[in-house]
Amino acid sequence: MSIPRIKVNHFHTFYYQYEPTLLDALEVQEIPAPYNCRGGYCGCCKVRLLEGEVEYVQESLLDLQDDEVLTCCCVPKTHIEIELPESS
Amino acid sequence: MFFGRGVNVARYDKQKYPIFEKLIEKQLSFFWRPEEVDLSTDRKDFMNMPPHEQHIFLSNLKYQTLLDSVQGRSPNVAFLPIVSLPELETWFETWAFSETIHSRSYTHIIRNIITEPSEVFDTIVTNDEIIKRAESVTRLYDELIELTSIYTTHGAGVHTFDGKRYDASLWNLKKKLYLTLVSVNVLEAIRFYVSFACSFAFAERAVMEGNAKVIKLIARDEALHLTGTQHMLNILASGADDPDFKQIAVECRQEAIAIFAEAAQQEKEWASYLFQDGSMIGLNAKILSDYVEYITNVRMKALGFEEMFPSRQNPLPWMNAWLVSDNVQVAPQESEISSYLVGQIDNEVQDGDFDDFDL
Repeated sequence: MSIPRIKVNHFHTFYYQYEPTLLDALEVQEIPAPYNCRGGYCGCCKVRLLEGEVEYVQESLLDLQDDEVLTCCCVPKTHIEIELPESS
Repeated sequence: MFFGRGVNVARYDKQKYPIFEKLIEKQLSFFWRPEEVDLSTDRKDFMNMPPHEQHIFLSNLKYQTLLDSVQGRSPNVAFLPIVSLPELETWFETWAFSETIHSRSYTHIIRNIITEPSEVFDTIVTNDEIIKRAESVTRLYDELIELTSIYTTHGAGVHTFDGKRYDASLWNLKKKLYLTLVSVNVLEAIRFYVSFACSFAFAERAVMEGNAKVIKLIARDEALHLTGTQHMLNILASGADDPDFKQIAVECRQEAIAIFAEAAQQEKEWASYLFQDGSMIGLNAKILSDYVEYITNVRMKALGFEEMFPSRQNPLPWMNAWLVSDNVQVAPQESEISSYLVGQIDNEVQDGDFDDFDL
């Protein structure tokens, strides 16, 4: 399996460097990803997963739509494309 | 979830909504005690504060004390008689218990920074600004509790006592319950955050840091609680649990929005009361009001409502660093992982596990 590529709509595309979570990966790239609790329960880091699959490394305590993921709880499994919420 | 069959045996093997069990586990893993936090430097900091900052600090503490007095009791009194799922029942109890820890921590803080704690506690219920808001915090709770007690003793229906008419029909009870949950959500999701912002603003300047550590632990709990109420409200509004609630959520939409609007307005007024004698570095009434608008929008969106205020970026971006749940520092030498659970060792051993093991 090749290194997952992360495409963030309205921002740039980069390769995942095995940070502990997707949120950390976005922060390393200086993409202003929203967050609060980093524990999977506040829901602030919710983003839309448009393409690809993620793997959960921490349990999420939130009701999520099928295309939503919490960046603080997962890492990319394949190449992915995500979109941050508008207000961030 | 509510007004169904009684909870009966406390069994958790078959759960309708496992999410509440997960919330309970998370809450238990968060367990902390106020005495873990050392407040000795806070006393010195407090003595050196100018009077207008002491006013900001103490007023917030008083208000939070009152809010947690409500939250430490009311979920149990109001929701336990009508809940019908054991996992949800236990969540209410776990939730209310953690609020009692918050209440105890306010006493811990006040006892440490002030020689005569009574001066603070005795003035909570005589402060007009606090009373004004306490009324709207407790009104729905009171109405629900009153109707529930009539419902449990006299059954569903409209009853008249002492010439006063009480509509304890199931429909009206469900409506009251829905609105009470909205007002609880507003309490934990908006009202608390105004006080949190002030405590963290002090700590950003490296004063009252012990207090900020306690507040950080409280904020972590509150974030979990509000996830719980958001879950309940969203499940109810979807109609998946009880079709009545789907219609009630639609019917009560305007009232629910009005609860948010009232709270936002009151919190803005509170902000001007806090800063009436002067601002503090990094925070003033305007910025705090902007934050109220921002946080109200965020919370309303989580419940599927339209944003009430023009959308804006977080006016207090440094708040995020204080709301992170992991690595909440209790003492300088130890950093605690919030999701730490005892007895979580993996005991599964496979036949082949020692194959590559040489002596």
